[in-house]
Amino acid sequence: MNPRCRETLAQAYLLLDGEPVPEAERREVQAHLEACAPCYERYGIEQEVKALIARLHGCTTCPEQLRVRIVQLLHFEH
Amino acid sequence: MAERARAELSVEDEARFERDALPLLDSLYGGALRMTRNPADAEDLVQETMLRAYRSFDRFEAGTNLKAWLFRIMTNAYINTYRKKQREPQKVSQDEVEDFDLYQELKNHDPQFSATPETIVLDQLVDTDIIEAIEDLPEQFRLAVMLSDLEGFSYAEMAEIMDVPMGTVMSRLHRGRKALQKRLWELARDRGIVRGAPKS
Repeated sequence: MNPRCRETLAQAYLLLDGEPVPEAERREVQAHLEACAPCYERYGIEQEVKALIARLHGCTTCPEQLRVRIVQLLHFEH
Repeated sequence: MAERARAELSVEDEARFERDALPLLDSLYGGALRMTRNPADAEDLVQETMLRAYRSFDRFEAGTNLKAWLFRIMTNAYINTYRKKQREPQKVSQDEVEDFDLYQELKNHDPQFSATPETIVLDQLVDTDIIEAIEDLPEQFRLAVMLSDLEGFSYAEMAEIMDVPMGTVMSRLHRGRKALQKRLWELARDRGIVRGAPKS
Protein backbone atom coordinates (compact mmCIF):
# COMPACT_ATOMS: atom_id res chain seq x y z
CA MET A 1 0.00 0.00 0.00
CA ASN A 2 1.44 3.39 -0.90
CA PRO A 3 2.10 5.96 1.86
CA ARG A 4 -0.67 8.31 0.72
CA CYS A 5 -3.24 5.52 1.03
CA ARG A 6 -1.84 4.40 4.34
CA GLU A 7 -2.03 7.96 5.73
CA THR A 8 -5.54 8.48 4.44
CA LEU A 9 -6.81 5.27 5.98
CA ALA A 10 -5.23 6.20 9.32
CA GLN A 11 -7.11 9.51 9.21
CA ALA A 12 -10.27 7.78 8.03
CA TYR A 13 -10.11 5.66 11.17
CA LEU A 14 -10.65 8.79 13.22
CA LEU A 15 -13.69 9.67 11.13
CA LEU A 16 -15.00 6.13 11.52
CA ASP A 17 -14.86 6.51 15.29
CA GLY A 18 -16.35 9.98 15.39
CA GLU A 19 -13.15 11.52 16.69
CA PRO A 20 -12.46 15.22 16.08
CA VAL A 21 -10.75 15.84 12.73
CA PRO A 22 -9.97 19.33 11.36
CA GLU A 23 -12.24 20.28 8.47
CA ALA A 24 -9.37 20.60 5.96
CA GLU A 25 -8.14 17.08 6.73
CA ARG A 26 -11.66 15.72 6.61
CA ARG A 27 -12.08 17.10 3.10
CA GLU A 28 -8.74 15.66 2.02
CA VAL A 29 -9.70 12.22 3.31
CA GLN A 30 -13.06 12.33 1.56
CA ALA A 31 -11.45 13.48 -1.69
CA HIS A 32 -8.97 10.62 -1.60
CA LEU A 33 -11.66 8.04 -0.80
CA GLU A 34 -13.71 9.28 -3.75
CA ALA A 35 -10.72 9.01 -6.08
CA CYS A 36 -9.15 5.78 -4.88
CA ALA A 37 -11.26 2.64 -5.23
CA PRO A 38 -9.17 0.33 -3.02
CA CYS A 39 -9.17 2.87 -0.16
CA TYR A 40 -12.87 3.43 -0.60
CA GLU A 41 -13.47 -0.29 -0.39
CA ARG A 42 -11.15 -0.77 2.58
CA TYR A 43 -12.89 2.00 4.47
CA GLY A 44 -16.24 0.47 3.60
CA ILE A 45 -15.09 -2.82 5.08
CA GLU A 46 -14.06 -1.13 8.32
CA GLN A 47 -17.49 0.50 8.50
CA GLU A 48 -19.22 -2.81 7.87
CA VAL A 49 -17.27 -4.73 10.48
CA LYS A 50 -17.82 -1.98 13.03
CA ALA A 51 -21.55 -2.04 12.27
CA LEU A 52 -21.52 -5.81 12.63
CA ILE A 53 -20.16 -5.54 16.16
CA ALA A 54 -22.45 -2.65 17.01
CA ARG A 55 -25.37 -4.92 16.14
CA LEU A 56 -24.64 -6.68 19.42
CA HIS A 57 -25.06 -3.55 21.51
CA GLY A 58 -27.89 -3.96 23.95
CA CYS A 59 -28.17 -7.69 23.28
CA THR A 60 -27.27 -8.52 26.86
CA THR A 61 -29.64 -8.04 29.75
CA CYS A 62 -28.57 -8.02 33.36
CA PRO A 63 -30.03 -11.12 35.02
CA GLU A 64 -32.99 -10.17 37.16
CA GLN A 65 -31.63 -11.89 40.27
CA LEU A 66 -28.43 -9.90 40.01
CA ARG A 67 -30.34 -6.65 39.71
CA VAL A 68 -32.44 -7.52 42.74
CA ARG A 69 -29.37 -8.55 44.76
CA ILE A 70 -27.58 -5.31 43.92
CA VAL A 71 -30.54 -3.16 44.93
CA GLN A 72 -30.75 -5.03 48.21
CA LEU A 73 -27.02 -4.63 48.86
CA LEU A 74 -27.19 -0.92 48.18
CA HIS A 75 -30.06 -0.50 50.61
CA PHE A 76 -28.10 -2.50 53.16
CA GLU A 77 -25.16 -0.11 52.65
CA HIS A 78 -27.32 2.68 53.94
CA MET B 1 -16.12 -8.01 55.22
CA ALA B 2 -18.33 -4.94 54.78
CA GLU B 3 -16.08 -1.89 54.53
CA ARG B 4 -17.41 1.13 56.30
CA ALA B 5 -18.06 3.88 53.78
CA ARG B 6 -15.88 6.86 54.50
CA ALA B 7 -18.76 9.21 54.05
CA GLU B 8 -22.44 8.44 54.03
CA LEU B 9 -24.17 9.30 50.81
CA SER B 10 -26.66 12.09 51.10
CA VAL B 11 -30.27 11.22 50.44
CA GLU B 12 -30.08 13.10 47.15
CA ASP B 13 -26.94 11.22 46.06
CA GLU B 14 -28.53 7.91 46.94
CA ALA B 15 -31.59 8.73 44.88
CA ARG B 16 -29.39 10.00 42.05
CA PHE B 17 -27.37 6.77 42.07
CA GLU B 18 -30.46 4.60 41.85
CA ARG B 19 -31.96 6.78 39.16
CA ASP B 20 -28.83 7.08 36.99
CA ALA B 21 -26.64 4.05 37.69
CA LEU B 22 -29.12 1.19 37.88
CA PRO B 23 -30.29 1.64 34.27
CA LEU B 24 -26.68 1.02 33.21
CA LEU B 25 -26.66 -2.50 34.61
CA ASP B 26 -27.40 -4.05 31.23
CA SER B 27 -24.38 -2.35 29.68
CA LEU B 28 -22.20 -3.17 32.66
CA TYR B 29 -23.21 -6.79 32.66
CA GLY B 30 -22.54 -7.05 28.92
CA GLY B 31 -19.11 -5.51 29.42
CA ALA B 32 -18.40 -7.80 32.35
CA LEU B 33 -19.33 -10.84 30.27
CA ARG B 34 -16.93 -9.82 27.51
CA MET B 35 -14.20 -9.22 30.09
CA THR B 36 -14.55 -12.37 32.17
CA ARG B 37 -16.13 -14.62 29.49
CA ASN B 38 -17.92 -16.36 32.34
CA PRO B 39 -21.43 -15.50 33.62
CA ALA B 40 -20.70 -16.28 37.27
CA ASP B 41 -17.59 -14.07 37.33
CA ALA B 42 -19.44 -11.41 35.35
CA GLU B 43 -22.16 -11.25 38.01
CA ASP B 44 -19.59 -10.96 40.80
CA LEU B 45 -17.74 -8.29 38.87
CA VAL B 46 -20.86 -6.20 38.30
CA GLN B 47 -21.87 -6.54 41.94
CA GLU B 48 -18.44 -5.48 43.14
CA THR B 49 -18.41 -2.59 40.69
CA MET B 50 -21.76 -1.26 41.85
CA LEU B 51 -20.73 -1.48 45.49
CA ARG B 52 -17.47 0.36 44.87
CA ALA B 53 -19.27 2.94 42.78
CA TYR B 54 -21.94 3.49 45.42
CA ARG B 55 -19.35 3.95 48.14
CA SER B 56 -17.42 6.53 46.14
CA PHE B 57 -20.37 8.20 44.45
CA ASP B 58 -19.86 11.39 46.43
CA ARG B 59 -16.65 11.73 44.40
CA PHE B 60 -18.42 11.42 41.06
CA GLU B 61 -18.66 14.77 39.32
CA ALA B 62 -22.29 15.31 38.33
CA GLY B 63 -22.72 16.05 34.64
CA THR B 64 -19.73 13.97 33.58
CA ASN B 65 -20.05 10.60 31.89
CA LEU B 66 -21.39 8.17 34.47
CA LYS B 67 -21.13 5.16 32.20
CA ALA B 68 -17.44 5.86 31.60
CA TRP B 69 -16.91 6.29 35.34
CA LEU B 70 -18.58 2.97 36.08
CA PHE B 71 -16.63 1.18 33.36
CA ARG B 72 -13.44 2.62 34.82
CA ILE B 73 -14.28 1.17 38.20
CA MET B 74 -15.22 -2.12 36.61
CA THR B 75 -12.03 -2.35 34.54
CA ASN B 76 -9.96 -1.68 37.66
CA ALA B 77 -11.88 -4.29 39.60
CA TYR B 78 -11.42 -6.75 36.75
CA ILE B 79 -7.66 -6.18 36.60
CA ASN B 80 -7.25 -6.44 40.35
CA THR B 81 -9.51 -9.37 41.06
CA TYR B 82 -10.43 -11.47 38.07
CA ARG B 83 -7.69 -11.16 35.56
CA LYS B 84 -5.39 -13.55 37.40
CA LYS B 85 -8.03 -16.26 37.17
CA GLN B 86 -8.53 -15.82 33.46
CA ARG B 87 -7.04 -18.14 30.95
CA GLU B 88 -5.74 -16.18 27.96
CA PRO B 89 -7.47 -17.40 24.82
CA GLN B 90 -5.04 -19.12 22.50
CA LYS B 91 -6.91 -18.73 19.27
CA VAL B 92 -5.50 -15.37 18.23
CA SER B 93 -1.83 -14.52 18.54
CA GLN B 94 -1.05 -10.86 18.99
CA ASP B 95 1.81 -11.11 16.50
CA GLU B 96 0.24 -12.90 13.52
CA VAL B 97 -2.42 -10.26 13.23
CA GLU B 98 -0.32 -7.78 11.27
CA ASP B 99 -0.37 -9.86 8.07
CA PHE B 100 -4.09 -10.40 7.89
CA ASP B 101 -5.86 -8.35 5.25
CA LEU B 102 -9.63 -8.74 5.12
CA TYR B 103 -9.85 -6.66 1.95
CA GLN B 104 -7.56 -9.12 0.18
CA GLU B 105 -9.45 -12.13 1.54
CA LEU B 106 -12.75 -10.70 0.35
CA LYS B 107 -11.32 -10.06 -3.11
CA ASN B 108 -9.91 -13.59 -3.27
CA HIS B 109 -13.22 -14.97 -2.15
CA ASP B 110 -15.12 -13.09 -4.83
CA PRO B 111 -13.23 -11.31 -7.64
CA GLN B 112 -16.35 -9.24 -8.33
CA PHE B 113 -16.22 -7.95 -4.80
CA SER B 114 -16.86 -4.31 -4.20
CA ALA B 115 -17.64 -3.00 -0.77
CA THR B 116 -21.36 -2.60 -0.85
CA PRO B 117 -23.21 -3.69 2.30
CA GLU B 118 -24.94 -6.61 0.62
CA THR B 119 -21.70 -8.27 -0.34
CA ILE B 120 -19.74 -8.44 2.87
CA VAL B 121 -20.19 -12.09 3.67
CA LEU B 122 -19.33 -11.71 7.33
CA ASP B 123 -22.78 -10.44 8.16
CA GLN B 124 -24.02 -13.96 7.58
CA LEU B 125 -22.43 -14.82 10.89
CA VAL B 126 -24.89 -15.10 13.76
CA ASP B 127 -24.60 -13.05 16.94
CA THR B 128 -23.18 -15.92 18.98
CA ASP B 129 -20.39 -16.31 16.44
CA ILE B 130 -19.52 -12.64 16.64
CA ILE B 131 -19.47 -12.83 20.42
CA GLU B 132 -17.25 -15.89 20.18
CA ALA B 133 -14.85 -14.01 17.92
CA ILE B 134 -14.66 -11.11 20.37
CA GLU B 135 -14.14 -13.45 23.30
CA ASP B 136 -11.33 -15.23 21.45
CA LEU B 137 -9.31 -12.03 21.35
CA PRO B 138 -6.43 -11.43 23.74
CA GLU B 139 -7.56 -9.30 26.64
CA GLN B 140 -6.20 -5.90 25.61
CA PHE B 141 -7.66 -6.21 22.12
CA ARG B 142 -10.94 -7.54 23.49
CA LEU B 143 -11.28 -4.65 25.89
CA ALA B 144 -10.50 -2.02 23.25
CA VAL B 145 -12.96 -3.45 20.73
CA MET B 146 -15.65 -3.88 23.38
CA LEU B 147 -15.33 -0.34 24.73
CA SER B 148 -15.25 1.27 21.31
CA ASP B 149 -17.52 -0.80 19.12
CA LEU B 150 -19.94 -2.30 21.64
CA GLU B 151 -20.23 0.55 24.11
CA GLY B 152 -19.42 3.53 21.90
CA PHE B 153 -16.84 5.21 24.13
CA SER B 154 -14.58 7.86 22.62
CA TYR B 155 -10.79 7.44 22.55
CA ALA B 156 -10.47 9.90 25.43
CA GLU B 157 -12.98 7.98 27.51
CA MET B 158 -11.25 4.72 26.68
CA ALA B 159 -7.91 6.19 27.77
CA GLU B 160 -9.52 7.00 31.15
CA ILE B 161 -11.17 3.61 31.48
CA MET B 162 -8.11 1.57 30.52
CA ASP B 163 -5.71 4.00 32.21
CA VAL B 164 -3.40 4.23 29.19
CA PRO B 165 -2.39 7.05 26.83
CA MET B 166 -4.61 7.76 23.86
CA GLY B 167 -1.92 6.51 21.47
CA THR B 168 -2.11 3.13 23.18
CA VAL B 169 -5.89 3.14 22.87
CA MET B 170 -5.65 3.74 19.14
CA SER B 171 -2.98 1.10 18.67
CA ARG B 172 -4.90 -1.55 20.62
CA LEU B 173 -8.10 -0.69 18.80
CA HIS B 174 -6.51 -0.81 15.37
CA ARG B 175 -4.74 -4.10 16.04
CA GLY B 176 -7.70 -5.46 17.95
CA ARG B 177 -9.99 -4.86 15.00
CA LYS B 178 -7.53 -6.55 12.67
CA ALA B 179 -7.36 -9.53 14.99
CA LEU B 180 -11.13 -9.58 15.15
CA GLN B 181 -11.43 -9.48 11.38
CA LYS B 182 -9.08 -12.40 11.13
CA ARG B 183 -11.05 -14.36 13.71
CA LEU B 184 -14.36 -13.53 12.03
CA TRP B 185 -12.95 -14.73 8.72
CA GLU B 186 -11.82 -18.01 10.31
CA LEU B 187 -15.25 -18.52 11.83
CA ALA B 188 -16.87 -17.78 8.48
CA ARG B 189 -14.70 -20.50 7.02
CA ASP B 190 -15.58 -22.92 9.82
CA ARG B 191 -19.28 -22.25 9.25
CA GLY B 192 -18.96 -22.78 5.52
CA ILE B 193 -19.89 -19.20 4.74
CA VAL B 194 -16.63 -18.84 2.83
CA ARG B 195 -14.58 -21.57 1.19
CA GLY B 196 -11.41 -22.96 2.64
CA ALA B 197 -10.31 -25.67 5.03
CA PRO B 198 -11.68 -24.99 8.50
CA LYS B 199 -9.05 -24.56 11.19
CA SER B 200 -8.99 -27.57 13.49
